[in-house]
Amino acid sequence: MKLLKSHIKIIATGMVVLLISLIVFGAYSVLTQGNRWFSSSANTYLREMKTNAIPGNIMDRNGTVLATTDAQGKRLYHQDGSVRNAVVHVLGDRTNNVGYGVESFMSNYLYGFNVSYFQRLAHALKGEKLHGNNLTLSIDSNLSRYVSSIFPTDKKGAVIVMNYRTGEVLSLQSFPTFDPDNITESVKTDPLQPFWNNATRWNSAPGSTFKLITLAASLKNIPGAAVQEYVCTGELPFADSVMRDAGNAIHNKLSLSKAFTLSCNITFGKLAQQMGDAALASTSKDFGIGDYFLFQDFVVENSVYPQKNRTDKEIAWTGVGQSALQLTPLHMCMIASAVANDGVMMEPKLLLKAVSINNEIKAQLVPKQYLHPLSKADADTIADYMNQVVKSGTGTRANVAGHRICGKTGTAEVDSQKENNAWFVGFIDEPQFPYAVCVVVMDAGGGGAVAAPIAGKIFSAITGSPLTAK
Amino acid sequence: MATAKHNPGKKMIGAIALFVASGFFLLALKNMDIQSLIMAFVVPLIFLASSALIPKVFRADSLLLSLVNLLCSLGVLVLYRISPEKGINQAINYGAGVLAMILCMLAIRHLSRFKPLLVIAAGGALVLMALPVVIGREVGGAKAWIALGGLNFQPSELVKVVLVVVNAYLLSKRKVLLSIIFTGICLVFLLLQKDLGTALLYFIVSLLMMYVSTGSFALLGAGFGGAAAAGILGYSWLKSMGFAHIDRRITAWTNPWGNYENEGFQTVQSLLAIVNGGLFGLGLGAGNASKIPVRETDSIFPFIVNEFGIILGICLIILYIIIFIRGIGISSRCNHRFHSLLAMGCSLFIAFQTFVIIGGNINLIPITGVTLPFISYGGTSLLSSLCLIGLLQGIESINEDHIAQDAKMATMGDELP
Repeated sequence: MKLLKSHIKIIATGMVVLLISLIVFGAYSVLTQGNRWFSSSANTYLREMKTNAIPGNIMDRNGTVLATTDAQGKRLYHQDGSVRNAVVHVLGDRTNNVGYGVESFMSNYLYGFNVSYFQRLAHALKGEKLHGNNLTLSIDSNLSRYVSSIFPTDKKGAVIVMNYRTGEVLSLQSFPTFDPDNITESVKTDPLQPFWNNATRWNSAPGSTFKLITLAASLKNIPGAAVQEYVCTGELPFADSVMRDAGNAIHNKLSLSKAFTLSCNITFGKLAQQMGDAALASTSKDFGIGDYFLFQDFVVENSVYPQKNRTDKEIAWTGVGQSALQLTPLHMCMIASAVANDGVMMEPKLLLKAVSINNEIKAQLVPKQYLHPLSKADADTIADYMNQVVKSGTGTRANVAGHRICGKTGTAEVDSQKENNAWFVGFIDEPQFPYAVCVVVMDAGGGGAVAAPIAGKIFSAITGSPLTAK
Repeated sequence: MATAKHNPGKKMIGAIALFVASGFFLLALKNMDIQSLIMAFVVPLIFLASSALIPKVFRADSLLLSLVNLLCSLGVLVLYRISPEKGINQAINYGAGVLAMILCMLAIRHLSRFKPLLVIAAGGALVLMALPVVIGREVGGAKAWIALGGLNFQPSELVKVVLVVVNAYLLSKRKVLLSIIFTGICLVFLLLQKDLGTALLYFIVSLLMMYVSTGSFALLGAGFGGAAAAGILGYSWLKSMGFAHIDRRITAWTNPWGNYENEGFQTVQSLLAIVNGGLFGLGLGAGNASKIPVRETDSIFPFIVNEFGIILGICLIILYIIIFIRGIGISSRCNHRFHSLLAMGCSLFIAFQTFVIIGGNINLIPITGVTLPFISYGGTSLLSSLCLIGLLQGIESINEDHIAQDAKMATMGDELP
């Protein structure tokens, strides 16, 4: 019998653990993903629940009111159509066409669902509607409107401007955009899908902007990588094909810095092969590729590193940002931000403040470190290289006179498209302008020719200094 | 020596009765009918009769008893909220279930010759299990139901009581092989019925009972290994046998949000019911979980959380844990292997069934169509759960008798010169 009892104890403990795991798993999922479920378009009850509450105002960082509710309960957006267009993917719209906009994703604050059951009961008994909180976002509507005005009108793409020290997002835009006050049939059926948020929910090969990560991995894994001399013969042969550089360029002997500045595929393809898939995958993981992002203020599609056990050819192509790599523009902006912020990647933030109708502060911005993928020394080296890119390499059209601008261009090939996707990531390396930018223009051409000038105009608008290049 | 009596006190029983009654009063206000008012008296009455009177007649574990009764009456209340007709049916089931529970208590206390009875029960069980395969009707992809004399019921629910008793008996006599054979035949029938959830319950509970009896980790490992192998090997074959609904359930598990309008619908609706309810719930009768499929059986847990809140949901799981621990306590106080194994089997069945269904609801594991013990709608399900509790209580009363006897002997010993 004694033996039996000891067996009972083992099984009983196991079963209790199993039952407790229900509570732990349930609580964990609700805490980390509850708000995503609640505000998803699958939640048809949300619309019903919204009728019992008056949503608060939404303001930008300068106090410009972007959304408000009139006495009749109608939701009103900014009177200027160009502002409405510029912030619609952050804000969302009345009928949740844009998934996870503030109007739905922050409905807990905005509609006051965050009040206690008893307060809710008291309101219901008095026959009053709940009053939601007024929200202040980190968005700068002037900057957003400007960005929207310089983006090519007939192209898909995304632009993000964020503060790399705090993670505050000043502008997050997806193109083409639309007017939430005028959703016509042609908007709904547009093949460019204006409702989709390309900045957070579209992921694709980042092209040569990914060399940031290949460079970081090389500095970490290959001793003397920065001082070594490289040879570019213009070709990197594989079993069944050959990798070439853009425009079939042959760079001959060159330093790592030069290879980065000229965005030499051969050198970076070889570096990826030399360190191997495991090292590149590990550094990619350090930068958050493969993470299931659970940010407080944003729903971001995860970025994907290609499957393991691949050929030399695939590894080389990954090193230059092609193959099956997939990153979102917001994530690419975070990666550039990590380089700018001494190797620390901040969580992107949108909500500066939520204030209740009684003037209680319900939420406030708390900058939060997300990852720490780089040492300060490596971050400084990469920033120097990125500065060279803008001064004398592929990204000169992003340069602004009198400022230290860092950047990297990318030209990503996508099989199904006629033209390449143009990418640019970069930042201003100055304490008074701690801003990083990511620009993507799809199906448009080269990163240096198409995306860099847009980033340059943004840098110029932020600093108030003119562009160096015409 | 283990403490003999744990009296939860009249206050707790009173509070529970009041809680249930006030729930029905609330529904009476909402529905504006007399029927709800009648229920407000009848259901607490069954609860009080069962929780307060039984411990007066038998030496039962009254905490265990009142918790089980709490869950049952909460079930009636919630089902009445979903549909008054189902609530009334469930109240009748509850009353009948209490009687069945008492019968089981009496049976385990007073029957001394089990063997011939068990042979008949085991034979009957196998016949019952074969019936749905032949004349069953399909509900939710599984063919586990039969209609007899106007009554719809699930034989596998009744047979689970027989399974636990037969296994406990065989294993107490160390007839492991026979126990494996009996369980195996039951499993084959369940697989033919395409009732995977119940098959999982039968398998795990029997396996764990075998481990408790033998202490053989090899057996445990072989069981799990065999199941995994059978799962992988049988997967494609089973699919060709018409098990298409497994595939859908796996997709529903791995990516419910990607398929929230079809495969993932049930899971997504469950999760939404939980987050829409929030910590404190939307209130009885005021919930918005009207779209969850099978909310009176499989999805009753999220429905309750929607109206009563996540906090109550956690409390419910804790109640099941307490019920399990009380059951284990009874099992480890037994003087006989048979009683100990039986008490273990009963407790395991209820606990694991709770895990399987709530785990499915919160998407920890794929959703399967098993009921939440004591709460879900269904006569056979409630009946069998209460029978398991009856067996546990009967064993507890035997334990208490032994303890009382020992105490008496001890005092008698003191008095001897």
